[in-house]
Amino acid sequence: MFKDIADVRGRLGQQQYIASEEIATVVYLAQALGKPVLAEGPAGVGKTELAKVWSKALDRPLIRLQCYEGLDEGKALYEWEYAKQMLYTQLLRDTLQQTLQGADSLATAVQRLAQEDNVFFSEHFLLPRPLLQALTAQEPVVLLIDEVDRADVEFEAFLLEILSDFQVSIPELGTIHAIHEPMVLLTSNNTRELSEALKRRCLYLYVDYPNLEAELDIVRLKVPDLSTALARQAVEIVQQLRQMDMRKLPSVSETLDWARALVALNAKSIDEETLRNTLTVLLKYEADVQKAKRMLGGRSGGQSDF
Amino acid sequence: MDDRIVEFVRGLRAAGARVSVAEASDALRAVELLGVSDKNLFRQSLRATLIKDSDDFAAFDQLFPLYFGSGGPLLQNATDQLNPDEQEMLEAALSALSGRLQRLLDWLTSGQGPTREELEELARRAGVEWANSQQEGRWVTRRMLRDMGFAHLEELLAQLRQQLQEMGMSRQAIEQLMGVVEANREALAEQVAQQIGLQIAQDRANRPEAFHGSDILNKPLQSLTEEEAELLRKEVQRLVTQLRSRAALRHKRGKEGRFDAKGTIRASQKYGGVPFEMRFRRKKLKPSLLLICDVSTSMRPVAEFMLRLIYELQDQVAKARSFAFNADMEEITVTLAGNRAADAVAEVLYAIPPGYYATDLGHSLETFSRNWGDAVNGRTTVIILGDGRNNYNSPRIDLFRELQRRAKRLIWLNPELRQKWGTGDSDMLDYEPYCDAVYSVRNMAQLAAAVDKLLGG
Repeated sequence: MFKDIADVRGRLGQQQYIASEEIATVVYLAQALGKPVLAEGPAGVGKTELAKVWSKALDRPLIRLQCYEGLDEGKALYEWEYAKQMLYTQLLRDTLQQTLQGADSLATAVQRLAQEDNVFFSEHFLLPRPLLQALTAQEPVVLLIDEVDRADVEFEAFLLEILSDFQVSIPELGTIHAIHEPMVLLTSNNTRELSEALKRRCLYLYVDYPNLEAELDIVRLKVPDLSTALARQAVEIVQQLRQMDMRKLPSVSETLDWARALVALNAKSIDEETLRNTLTVLLKYEADVQKAKRMLGGRSGGQSDF
Repeated sequence: MDDRIVEFVRGLRAAGARVSVAEASDALRAVELLGVSDKNLFRQSLRATLIKDSDDFAAFDQLFPLYFGSGGPLLQNATDQLNPDEQEMLEAALSALSGRLQRLLDWLTSGQGPTREELEELARRAGVEWANSQQEGRWVTRRMLRDMGFAHLEELLAQLRQQLQEMGMSRQAIEQLMGVVEANREALAEQVAQQIGLQIAQDRANRPEAFHGSDILNKPLQSLTEEEAELLRKEVQRLVTQLRSRAALRHKRGKEGRFDAKGTIRASQKYGGVPFEMRFRRKKLKPSLLLICDVSTSMRPVAEFMLRLIYELQDQVAKARSFAFNADMEEITVTLAGNRAADAVAEVLYAIPPGYYATDLGHSLETFSRNWGDAVNGRTTVIILGDGRNNYNSPRIDLFRELQRRAKRLIWLNPELRQKWGTGDSDMLDYEPYCDAVYSVRNMAQLAAAVDKLLGG
């Protein structure tokens, strides 16, 4: 467990994650208040990464649930293992026969069988999915519910019980409480508005693109092979690109990819040649690439052929 | 402190942020935990617990310093640096000038500003309770400063300077004194501005809500005030949630679809070939929409809310393309990936300027069938949003008929009363026979009902 906010920053830092004061505060509050964190912001600013380093910093396993359209309880929470149930019924045929022996009517047989009913709907035949795994884990875990905005609205409603009380109700088994309350991080790329009820249960963290210095720190930390001057130049270009009207803005992870590409190409400086060859690492649409070339070409005084 | 936080929460609510009781109590717990000594930390713990929407950050950032600030910078004592002789001179000069603005000069020179009660009283007299927004607050601030005598201050200070000079105070001492007074004057102005801001926020929090949700849904869209429109935009969120869950329920309760033999056989492999689990092929219920909006001045509010509804309901729609026309047709389909619907709609309406007496649906239809005719096929539901007023241009019924023939359905939403159709330059009655359905949508409730019918398939 984290002792205080400085401890959060320090330990996330050890995992090579530069946490802003805001992130550290929210993470600490989440632990202290026992509340889930909802992290929103553009794609690729390190929301998912936060969950990973959180679990590493606390040395706890990470359980991840990736959301998508059509995700339902069966995939997120639990499923009965029909096949195993069938198999056991087959194998236990003799035992069943014994149980049913001497039953003079169908009604008696059914009654006897009904007494054994809960054998087949026990935890033995339950296939736990990420959410149930997180609740029933023997050690405390970090639960990441990734891109919750991709899931359907009904699924959001279904999450509410877990997020507020750390429990789920399974009709056949009753209510299962968490053995250890997990730390929960939900991420959203803001493609749609999440419900008020969900937001109410979470602490809110908005992660935006980092400013120049912060991003430079990240690049220096993650790609130490890149020279300081070059790293600064690269980050400056990325920051400039983010000011433009692009179809997809370059994310932090793409900045890192670009930095690694520059190292791999053994670039001495970011000249036209290097830019032309590597811009596609940063920008993923042809129109954006063209726009960026025009902008960067104009910047270097128009002596280039972009 | 707790009371102050509760007041702050009320201020936030009045500014339009939704803060529940549970969130307020979270905030109190967080503050208990982290304390209030570190202002930045305090601010972040409140923000993380109270604000759950990045759009509301602005309101938070505006109100936080008002409620938890020091009330503005402190005034300095101007007499500190003066020697006893000079202090006497200053007193003499002040009393010579005494009169209307004695109080103001005292505040500025003694470093002892007005008390909070005095500020409140002055703000009341400047009419703070009549201000509805922080923008109007600036006006009240100016008035309050004028009442306090800031208008004549320049003149007065010049007189003071002259008096002191005549009394023989050294130039350096006078300059120093005036420097402090100048700084105090700015500080006092800032204090006044913050006081006004706080009082407005508190007043708004104490005022009963002006509109009730359902009232505003029934108000004609074209006669909304800016404030009501803002409220309605928030209401759209809730409406969309309702529509979405109704659509989802319909989807679930709808027919299970045709029996899927292949799927059933595949599933039966799990159970040793016994067809234990039946599979059904579901009919795809999500409609594919093509929206054609009239964005002439009279139609703007309706178009805005229609676009909002459709874009908020993206996940209930298989495909949505939208076009807008005034004099000519333009595609306005916006890629919404990562883009909030609200921003997208605002952008569209900004990009296409309104115009009077320029609407030409006939010509727009021609452009449409030439450039985007292929966008309409047997699965497309075409929705036209307009008043059918064509400025006596040719309605091009032939093109309209063609459009209806190719689309799955053609629906017209008209914000005018039925009685008015066909009057003046309205071609609505000519178009009507070729529409599969025509709805009159005058307010949000009717608009929502029409969209609900669309999603019904």
